[in-house]
Amino acid sequence: MWETLAQAVINGLLIGGIYALVSIGVTLIFGVVKIVNFAQGEFVMIGMYISFFLATQFGIDPLVSLVVSMPVLFLAGVLIQHFLIRRVLGPNDMPQIFLTFALSLLLLNLSLMLFSANYRTVHTSYSDEAWHIGGLYIPLAKLIAFAVAMALSGLLWVFLHTTDLGRAMRAASQNRDVAMLMGINPNRVFAVAFGTALALAGAAGSLLMPFYSAYPFVGQVFVLMAFVAVVMGTLGNVMGALVASLMMGIAESLGIQFVGADSGLIVVFGLLLLTLAFRPSGLGARRGR
Amino acid sequence: MTGDRKPPAINNAAPTQASRTKLNRRKFLARTGGALAAGAFGAVPLRGWAADPINIGALYPTTGSMAQIGTGCVAAAKLAVDMVNEAGGIKSLGGARLNLIVSDVQSDTTVTRTETDRLITGNKLSAIHGCYASALTLIASEVCERAHVPIITGSSSDQLNKGRSYTFTPFARASQFAKAQLQMAKLVSDQAKVAVIFENTAFGTSTSNGLKELAPGEGVEIVMFEPYSAGFTDASPLINKVKASGANTLFSLSYLNDLILIVRTVKQVGLDIAINGGSGGFVMPDFYKNVGKAAEGLQGVAHWNHDVNEDAQKVNAEFKKRTGEFAFEYAGGLVAQTFMLADALERAASADPKKVREALSTLDVSSGYAAMAPGGKVKFGPDGKNVYGRPVGVQWQNADLASIFPKEDARAPLIKT
Repeated sequence: MWETLAQAVINGLLIGGIYALVSIGVTLIFGVVKIVNFAQGEFVMIGMYISFFLATQFGIDPLVSLVVSMPVLFLAGVLIQHFLIRRVLGPNDMPQIFLTFALSLLLLNLSLMLFSANYRTVHTSYSDEAWHIGGLYIPLAKLIAFAVAMALSGLLWVFLHTTDLGRAMRAASQNRDVAMLMGINPNRVFAVAFGTALALAGAAGSLLMPFYSAYPFVGQVFVLMAFVAVVMGTLGNVMGALVASLMMGIAESLGIQFVGADSGLIVVFGLLLLTLAFRPSGLGARRGR
Repeated sequence: MTGDRKPPAINNAAPTQASRTKLNRRKFLARTGGALAAGAFGAVPLRGWAADPINIGALYPTTGSMAQIGTGCVAAAKLAVDMVNEAGGIKSLGGARLNLIVSDVQSDTTVTRTETDRLITGNKLSAIHGCYASALTLIASEVCERAHVPIITGSSSDQLNKGRSYTFTPFARASQFAKAQLQMAKLVSDQAKVAVIFENTAFGTSTSNGLKELAPGEGVEIVMFEPYSAGFTDASPLINKVKASGANTLFSLSYLNDLILIVRTVKQVGLDIAINGGSGGFVMPDFYKNVGKAAEGLQGVAHWNHDVNEDAQKVNAEFKKRTGEFAFEYAGGLVAQTFMLADALERAASADPKKVREALSTLDVSSGYAAMAPGGKVKFGPDGKNVYGRPVGVQWQNADLASIFPKEDARAPLIKT
C-alpha cells in the first residue's frame, strides 16, 4: 500500500515537472503581457518536432537539442510578439483571444499538413531505462526531464529576481501602468516575456521527446493541465504555477491509481474547484489583496 | 491528364499494342469524361486499360489521420491489379484488364459517403473495395448496397454482415479476434490471468466487453478490467495497477500513442507479463518503428499475415520492393480480395456489377492468390462472411510479424518473454 502510494506520488511529481514548464510560460505571458496564449501547447508541439527531426536526421539526442529548440522558439516568440500580439494590445480583449486562438489552429493544421497525424517517437538509450530503489522505480528519461525542468524554473526565478530586465518584467506584471511610468520599455519587456515563455514550451517539448510521442495534437494534452495550473496557482504567479503544476501531476496520478484509470482528470478538477472555493484567487495570491 | 493524350505517353504505356491502345484510349476518354473530371477532385484513373477495361473502385483514406495506412492500401491495390493484368486479365472477357479508380475518403465519414456516391455515379464500376477503417466501410457499404455495386472489404466490424447483400467480408470478424486473443493467453500460461485495460471510447468499451463475455467460456480468468482516458501523459499509475493485479497477460485495447507509453512503462517497471496489443495499428510496420526493440515478443491478432503461405510471401516480397515495408494485414488481404474479384469476373463473364455480385456469392476457392488467407479457403455465406475466415495470432520477432497461432497457421514458435 505505502509502496503503491509512494510510487504514485513519484510518477505524479515527475510528470508535474513538464506541466510546470508549460504553465509557467502561460502564466508569464499572462502576467506581463496580460493576454492568454491559447497557442502555448502548439509551441510545445513545435519543440517536440524540432527535437524529433534533429534526432532522426542528425542523430542529436533530444536533451541536447534543447539548445536548438529553446533559442528557436525564443526568437519565434519575439517575432510573434512584435508582429502580431503588439498590434492587438489594447483595451479590448477580444482581438487578443482570437489572435492566439487562431495561431493555435493555424499551427495545429499546418503541422497536420506538414508532418501528418502520425505519432513520431525517438529512441534513446535511456528511454526504457529506470532506477529501481527498493520496491520503487524511477524512469530515467522522466527524472532527467524533471531535473532539467526544475533547473530551468530556478534559472527563470533568478532571472526575474536579480536582473534589471527580470525586475522590469515583474514590475510590469504587478502593475503595468506604473511600470511604464517608471520608464520601463513595454515592447522590450513584452518581447522578452513572450520569447521566454515560448522557449520554456520548446524546452518542455525537447524534454518530452525521449518518452512521449510527437503528433500535431500533442500540445492540447498539456495545455489543458497548464491552464488549470495557472488558475490554481494564481494568474501571473510563476511560483504559484510551478507549485500547482506539481500538485496536479500528483493529484492526477493518485486519481488514476486509487479512483480509476479514467478518473485522473476528475481529481485534478476537483482539486481546482476546492482551491477556488477556499482561495478564490488561487494558491499564489497574497492575502489582503 | 493532357500528357496522356500525346502519342509518346501511349507508346510508353503499351508499346506492343500502340495502335489498338490509341483507338481504345480515345473511346475510353470519351466515355469516361466524368471520371476524368472527377480526377481533379481526387478520383484518379490509373494505367492499365486495354480492351474494354473493367473498372474497380478503390476507396481509401489517403489524406487525414489514416493517410499513411490508406496510402499503403492504394499501393497494395495497384500491385494486385498489376498482378491480375500481367497474368492476362479476365480471360472470359477477352483478356480485359482491370482498371483501378482510386478515390480519397479523407479519413472522414461524411466525405466517404459523397466520394462513394461520386465514384459510383461517375464511373461504370464492376465492384468496389475499401475503406480500411470499419467506420468508413460501414458507410461506403450502405451506399454500395443502394447502388447495387458489390463491395469487398477487409474491415472487421460484425456490423458489416448485417442486412447487406452486396457486402463481402473474406476475413475474420471482430468477434473472432477477441476469441483468438483469449486463446492466445493460454499459450503463455495454463492458468491464464488476464488484465484488460482499454480506452474509455466506443472502440475500447465494445471490444473489452466482448472479451469479458467470452473469457469464462475459454477458461481465461480476467483479474483486472479497467478503462482509462485515451491520450494520457503517463502510463505508470495504470501499470502499477496491472502489477498489483497479478496478471500474467495484459490485453491493451489502445491506439498507438497510448500503447507505446504502456509498453515502455512495462519495460521500465520490469514487469514480467505477456502483452497482447490486438489488431489495427499494433500490427503495422510503423508500430515497430515507434516502439523499437521493446516491441519484440509482443503479441497481436491479424486477419492476414505475410507468412500464411508461399503466395503471400511472393506478394510480400513484391510489396516490400515497391514500398520498403512488409505487406501489412490489410495490404496483403487487399491483394487476395482483388483476386477474388478477378475470379468472380472470370466466372460471371460480365462486367455488370449485379452479375459480379452473383458470382462473388458463389465464390469457392482453396488455391491461388484468392485463397491466400488464414484458413486457406474462401466461400461466402448468405451474410457475406467467409465461412472459413479466421484470425491469425502474430508475434513481433526480429522486427517482423510471425504467425504463431492457431497451430495450423503457426509459422514460428511463440517466444516467451
